[in-house]
Amino acid sequence: MADALHTLSAAELGRRLAAGTLTSRVLCEALIARYQAVNDKVGAFTHLDQSDVLAQADASDARRKAGQGRGPLEGIPVAIKDNIAVKGQPLTCSSKMLATLVSPYDSHVAERLRAAGAILYGRLNMDEFAMGSSTENSAIRKTFNPWDLARIPGGSSGGSASALAAGLVPLSLGSDTGGSIRQPASHCGVVGLKPTYGLISRFGLVAFASSLDQIGPMARSIEDCELLLNALASADARDMTCFGPSDRALTPAGEAKKLRIGIPKGFLGKGVAPEVAAAVNAAVEFYRAQGCAISEVELPSADLAVPTYYVVATAEASSNLGRYDGVRYGHRSASAGTPVEMMTASRSEGFGPEVKRRILLGTFVLSAGYADAYYVRALRARAKIRSEYLAALAGVDVLLTPTVPTPAFKVGEKASDPLQLYLEDIFTIPANLAGLPALSVPCGKSGHLPVGFHLVGAPLSEAKLLAAGRLFEAAHGFAHQQAAL
Amino acid sequence: MTMAEGFDIDHLAKLARLSLTAEEKTLYSSQLNQILSHFQALADADLPATIDDARVVDEAALRSDEPGPVLGADAVTRIAPASRDGQISVPRVVDDES
Repeated sequence: MADALHTLSAAELGRRLAAGTLTSRVLCEALIARYQAVNDKVGAFTHLDQSDVLAQADASDARRKAGQGRGPLEGIPVAIKDNIAVKGQPLTCSSKMLATLVSPYDSHVAERLRAAGAILYGRLNMDEFAMGSSTENSAIRKTFNPWDLARIPGGSSGGSASALAAGLVPLSLGSDTGGSIRQPASHCGVVGLKPTYGLISRFGLVAFASSLDQIGPMARSIEDCELLLNALASADARDMTCFGPSDRALTPAGEAKKLRIGIPKGFLGKGVAPEVAAAVNAAVEFYRAQGCAISEVELPSADLAVPTYYVVATAEASSNLGRYDGVRYGHRSASAGTPVEMMTASRSEGFGPEVKRRILLGTFVLSAGYADAYYVRALRARAKIRSEYLAALAGVDVLLTPTVPTPAFKVGEKASDPLQLYLEDIFTIPANLAGLPALSVPCGKSGHLPVGFHLVGAPLSEAKLLAAGRLFEAAHGFAHQQAAL
Repeated sequence: MTMAEGFDIDHLAKLARLSLTAEEKTLYSSQLNQILSHFQALADADLPATIDDARVVDEAALRSDEPGPVLGADAVTRIAPASRDGQISVPRVVDDES
């Protein structure tokens, strides 16, 4: 039985653990064997402390045996993107800047997972400081798409998506600033949710763009995604934007067949690959056939989303990454002279090209003489985009689009063209700008490459998004899919 | 309104505390100009006067102003690039008094 455990859902593993037909140790040993066989091919993990995993598994089994199990995640491994702090584990953000950093504390989500009895299972590769859409910006290693090892897994949570599609772990955590959970989920054929801004604490998430960043669950099925979401959402005074658990977001929604679904005008046109459009149109027709009301909605400022995002996100990043000065933690240059020379050399040696590019861009849009033209106008555009989304969502329950315009591209194909990479996020960015929940659901293939559709809802409508996803998933064969490796 | 057509890469690098090679300056100048030209849509748009940070809850959830647990000196100096006698070492900031 052990050799097939990597194919099972978290929910099924939980049932077997609860029934006593499986132990967490047996499960973790099977996943470690899978890691040893497959991780070098896909490069999803950057670190896995196997003895620590087995110690956690034994502790979980002991709790369960003593009747002190902590719930449905007890004994289930959850792999974590390498920008989310877990005490005693590396916290590199896939950057040379933090290459040797071991976190001295737990993030709020790590505390929540421990409290739920989950196994904190290894560190997942990502674009450096979560800046990228392909995981090619990692300073540690390349990560590949398990469905085609010559292609990118998406990013920045590429390790989180690749690990799921490769059967390395049943659940993973990502972070999403402009699509970094949903875009790799789409490319790897898994489910990814960016929650409403504030539903999950950002305490212990290394900051990229604080007004946009959210931690979210990733899984191979809607049921598993919901399981993980429910464990993560909790009030936390250490993040002043976190408002805690919400019954509205987490209570299972009613009849998904009665949902009103809005299709933004023009979103399936220019720039969308025909196979992606076909798969998403088929999903729309599925919902129509189920009795959902389908209507077209207007989002006139949609074209402003990418420039608005790249002004706001880089401005915040240039400020947030100012803390990497070689003083308190992170890389310090050996060529230190004066303090300013030390800071400059440390940053220049520690940051990779995309991070430098974004720091420079953010510094520019905030600089004297340009801030009004760029940053302030971007904040005004953000308000307009949010207001248009909220207006559209007053008339429908969810908006449905592709998650990404095209399937996963080949490694290196867009490496020299940052603007083309930025346009990967065209459908996912507005949810971050507007603070809205959004879900990517696998809906088909373009050749051998997965395609996902994207649902956006009003604030705290996670349950509706998951209900809509579940309706589709139950009628199609895309849940629990894994690439043959 | 017209957006800036160019920028001083040396000044930007200094503000950002980055030291760039000549090749990096050429590359980033070209790429940033291309990206900034894409931002022209922001300059041309009819935008509201208000700004918005997309919070779902308007009030900040401020915690009470009371001391709580913090990382100890050992934990802090363990992750510092250099430390001595329980304190973080840095290059000399001020000269010795004469």
